Amino acid sequence: MSQLKERLFRELSDAVVEMDEERAVAVAKAIVENNLDAYEAIEKGLSDGMCRAGRLFEEEEYFVPELLICSDAMYAGLDVLRPHIKPNGEGPRYKVVIGVIEGDTHDIGKNLVKIMLETSGFEVIDLGRDIPPKKFVDEARKTGAKIIGISTLMTTTMDGMQEVIRLLEAENVRDRFKVMIGGGPVSQSFADRIGADGYAENAAEAVKLARKLVGGAV
Amino acid sequence: MVKDRMTPIERMTAYNRGEMIDRLPCVPIVGNTAARVIGVKVSEFRGNGKLIARAHIEAYKLFRYDIIRIFTDLYTQAEAMGARVRYPLDETAYLEAPAINDISEIDKLKPADPYKDGNLPAHLEAMKITVDEVGEEVIVTGALTCPFTNASFLIGTEQLTRLTIKNPEAVHKLLEVSLETNLRYADAIIDAGCTPSLTDAMSSCTVISPEQFREFSFPYLKRLIDHIHSRGKPVTLHICGKTRQIWEMMADAGADCISIDNAADLLEAKQKVGHRVRLMGNVKPSEVMLQGTPRDVRKAVIECVRNAHDNPKGYIVASGCSLPTETPFENIHAMLDTVREIGYPVSLEVLERGV
Repeated sequence: MSQLKERLFRELSDAVVEMDEERAVAVAKAIVENNLDAYEAIEKGLSDGMCRAGRLFEEEEYFVPELLICSDAMYAGLDVLRPHIKPNGEGPRYKVVIGVIEGDTHDIGKNLVKIMLETSGFEVIDLGRDIPPKKFVDEARKTGAKIIGISTLMTTTMDGMQEVIRLLEAENVRDRFKVMIGGGPVSQSFADRIGADGYAENAAEAVKLARKLVGGAV
Repeated sequence: MVKDRMTPIERMTAYNRGEMIDRLPCVPIVGNTAARVIGVKVSEFRGNGKLIARAHIEAYKLFRYDIIRIFTDLYTQAEAMGARVRYPLDETAYLEAPAINDISEIDKLKPADPYKDGNLPAHLEAMKITVDEVGEEVIVTGALTCPFTNASFLIGTEQLTRLTIKNPEAVHKLLEVSLETNLRYADAIIDAGCTPSLTDAMSSCTVISPEQFREFSFPYLKRLIDHIHSRGKPVTLHICGKTRQIWEMMADAGADCISIDNAADLLEAKQKVGHRVRLMGNVKPSEVMLQGTPRDVRKAVIECVRNAHDNPKGYIVASGCSLPTETPFENIHAMLDTVREIGYPVSLEVLERGV
């Protein structure tokens, strides 16, 4: 890697980790002006920064507020770089349909998972919050997603997660999708009980799990 | 089957004085499960103080736990300040939209009048009826959502957490108006003959850092707790999620008892802050109480008692958080029965035998 490229990618990554949105935009612009590869900049700058932020989150150096502001910086840089991605720069990406189950409007955890998945190379279709089980199934079928991610923070809505799996079975498409769940009241044992493919305790774990579920291809 | 030989108030008073008791105090934190006890839909509680009171009185009479907590959801004060709450027919209410969308609208927020706004009058009525009926034998508390968590419902959790970094002054302004509502509601609860029961979910380290807690939660919690103390009431402070790094500050804020959930370790809490505060917790509300069998409940209770029964400032056997609405009655009975069978003073031999 040329020295300039290396320095700019590092600066972009630092801007994300240090929650500096303005600097992320400025560095992204410098990358574009210097005709450096935008896709590579996203991967080695922005994603790298979010990955480091995610590690700090795991280590309890960073908490939810920091992670959100890192992601603001990441998205700001992404807005600058995205129009400059060369069409062949991007390989096929696995799709994930993600949402908060019906009856629950807590979406902070789901949003974190979405951010971390996107920065790790997944294409995320975000259904939002308060989503009926049927919609997870329909959207996953429509978009050809590999993974369905369901989140809840409320014990009252846990049954909806099981309903998604029942619907997949009823439509004979259970084996086409991997189902991962997360959120305050659920656990690995709950995942096992309803027949989900995996449970992740936090956003960083969710990325590891998603990678595992698609066979480590991302 | 072992029967209680003291009323909850006799037991708690004696326990506080270090006198003999029949068993450890025990509080499965019953929330909307009370609706199941009297066979009504959860949404019928909305604006109906008499029905809330009836449900909680009957739930107490059925299980005979040591503290009644009048509670339907965490949003009552935020709703009284303009947040929109959705009431599903038979599930716990949830926040649909915060009171303001942007911090620039902060001046729209006015502290709530607990005697007029939202469902607060109904909750106060429920507290009053409950105290009148069973207040001589059992402690009756009213749930109060603390300044930071209430503020998160006023502007939305994601926005509030962002603002803690981007615009701390605005957060403090928001917390002042949130606290003012809390103080008024606390006074009203006490005037109704009850004790406020403090809950501050969003202040946990699962969401904000200990430094953010120190800056944004602690000062307001302390003012609230000081005020409640000035009116002669003790304070139990519940924070769910990860709390290890803020136990000391929870004690510094003046809490007499801290209620912690299963993301925290009772044994460690005892070693760290047990000489300063009473501990309450932490049987898993979802995995054990909702999904487990009475046998699982028994095991979990024994484990908690083993870890915390000798806490210097005392220990209350409890669920880690409010019980899910559909928690089976047999599991709640199992919790109380296990505590009855363990008895007091707690003998390790009895615990080893699995009671």
